[in-house]
Parts: sequence; C-alpha cells; structure tokens
Amino acid sequence: MSHPASEWIAFRLFRLTPKTHLGEAVAFFFYDVPKVLLLLTLVVFIVTFLQTFVSPTKVRDALSKRRAGLGNALASLFGIMTPFCSCSAVPLFIGFLRAGVPLGVTFSFLVAAPMINEVALGMLFAMFGWKIALIYAGTGVGIAFISGLVLGRLKMERHLEGWVQDALNAPSLGEIAEEKPTLPERLNLALQGVKDIVGKVWPYILAGISVGALIHGYVPEAFMAGLLGKEHWYSVPLAVLVGLPLYSNAAGVMPIVEALLGKGAALGSTLAFMMAVIGLSLPETIILRRVMRPRLIATFVGVVALGILLVGYLFNAIL
Amino acid sequence: MLIEVFGPGCAKCQMLEKHAKQAVEQSGGSHEVVKISDYAAMAARGVLSTPALALDGQLKFQGRVVSSDDILALIKG
Repeated sequence: MSHPASEWIAFRLFRLTPKTHLGEAVAFFFYDVPKVLLLLTLVVFIVTFLQTFVSPTKVRDALSKRRAGLGNALASLFGIMTPFCSCSAVPLFIGFLRAGVPLGVTFSFLVAAPMINEVALGMLFAMFGWKIALIYAGTGVGIAFISGLVLGRLKMERHLEGWVQDALNAPSLGEIAEEKPTLPERLNLALQGVKDIVGKVWPYILAGISVGALIHGYVPEAFMAGLLGKEHWYSVPLAVLVGLPLYSNAAGVMPIVEALLGKGAALGSTLAFMMAVIGLSLPETIILRRVMRPRLIATFVGVVALGILLVGYLFNAIL
Repeated sequence: MLIEVFGPGCAKCQMLEKHAKQAVEQSGGSHEVVKISDYAAMAARGVLSTPALALDGQLKFQGRVVSSDDILALIKG
C-alpha cells in the first residue's frame, strides 16, 4: 500500500519506522479514518434519502395476509431497505402480527432488517466492490427467507408471551396518515440522517479502525490464515462465535473486515464474522425477549446462527 | 391538548419528549405531555416504529425525532 498522506503522518510526523508493527498500524489508522468517515457520510446520505420512500407502515401493508413463500421472499427483500432501530423491534413485531402478517413472514423481516444493514451494504460496495456487496445482500436475503419459512412451519405462536396474544386481539385505535415529503424535505431528512448517524457512530468507527490497525500491524499473516483460512473446518464457527457477543455499528466493523481480508482470512469466514456482529446482537435479543418466550428466542437465534454458518462454509467452498 | 410521546426509553425517545416539552413551553398554552413506554399500549395505538407522537389521541409522527418547531406548528394547527 502506498498512501502518501497517511505515510507522511505515520513516518514523518510521528517519526515511526516503515515496515515495523507500530508504524504500519499507525499508517493504517490514518489511512482509514478519513476514508471510512467520508464513505460513511456519502453512503448514509444516499441510504437515508432512499429510505424516505419506504416506511414500516408501507411494508406492513404490503405483507399483510401474504402466504408463506412469497410473503417470506418479499419480507426478506424489504428488510434490506427498511429503516430499523432495535428499540422499534417490539412495536413493529406486534404491529405486523396485528395486521395479519404471518409469524414466519414477520420473522423473515426481523432477520433481514438488522442482518442486511443498508449502510453495511453501501460500505461494502464502496470499499470492496459490487461482487462482495451482492454476495452479502444475496446470502442475507436467503438466510432471512429460509429462517422465516422454517420458523413459520414450527408453529411457534404459542411461544409468544401472554400479553402479546392479548394485545393482538385488542381493538385497534386508529392509524397514522402517511406523510408524503417533498423532494427538498427528503434531501433535508437525508442531511439530518447524516448528522444523526455519523455523529453517533464515529466512536464505533474509531474503535473498529483501531482494531483493524492492530490486526494490520501486529497479527502475522500466517497466524490469521491459519485461524480463519478456508482449509480449516473450524474457521467459520470460530468467526461466528467471536462475532456473536460483539456489538458494533455496521460501519465500525468494516475496517476490521478490511484488515482480516488483507491478512489472508477467507472470504466466507470473514462474511460470517461480519454477519454475526451486525445481524445478531445482544441488545436486540434482550428487547425481543419481552415478546417471545425463551424457547422461541433460542430458536430464532439458533436458526439465524445456523444460516450464517452455512453462508460461511458455502463461500469458503466456492471461492 | 394532550401530547403523547411513545418510546421504550431509548435516546431518541427521550429527545422527542424533550422537544415536545419545549414546544409546549413556547406555545405558552397549558398542554399536557405524557410519555408512554408500555409496548402493549403502543401496539394498541398502531405505533409501528418509535419514537412516535400523538396529538389528542391522533398519531402524528413515527419513526423519527421531530423538532420542537414541528411540534409547535402541530399544536397551533
């Protein structure tokens, strides 16, 4: 890599020696900070603008009373673009079920929405090209589709908490009128989104870049290839196990992905790691526990984790 | 008027509650701001994404933090 500005900072300003662990780590850090922040700003602007055209209400109406199969496919696709915050998971879950969206279709959406993070998709496209972005989106949709189908078949309605079943049968108290923003309003919302999101996630990004820089500077290539290389059967489960408890913003995990791939980690293992970090998070699981009994939660996490494992093995096998 | 703020207690929901209170202060009227964090109550009102805001029982915004100016405009009608 030759990046004059970051090398100037690392080797001239800080007087570090090139090709040393510390020197390379610092150069990586100063190369990635402006790059990731700029890309993130651009991606968030475009994504937030597009999201002004999609709303949970529209998705719910499109999915209401759909049959399994087509419903799961649509739910998984909608999950890519829908703005989703984990603190909305519960009202959204109940709102979907009330409107007659089947449980399995609702699950497809609940899996797709956090796992195929729209910002992560944009960042992958910008940093690693359309092929990797497409693999990420395609496998995410596949996992959401299949896990929703499976969970729907398991007939787990009785594993919802009692108050949820009551809430489902309570009479509705009216609906919100859909807003139709004008173009300047949409652009303004997009700018607001950039301010909100970039303003909130930059500590995650700095943390992610620091971890990426440490990997880049200090972890020997042979070690990483040995641990996460595709010839080892344990590399995918290992990546998922490490990624599960980690909770990071989608943008924060990108520099780590960058460093892992640079050190010879296999693509399947790296994608599995990334999906585990983004798609299954402890805070969201805790929130969903409010509506689902332990058995349903365990099934949900288990099915998604299994899907991620399959993706990891699949891509390690074919690439 | 009755202003209801729906949210389980995340940062965005607290921000919206603050904006609602600011708007009430600016309006100079005696409006009541109520925070609703019970999921069942939210679901019964058709709230799909939080934070959400209702005016006199009618849902007005959901899924984003609206500014106190927007809420003020809503109060004034």
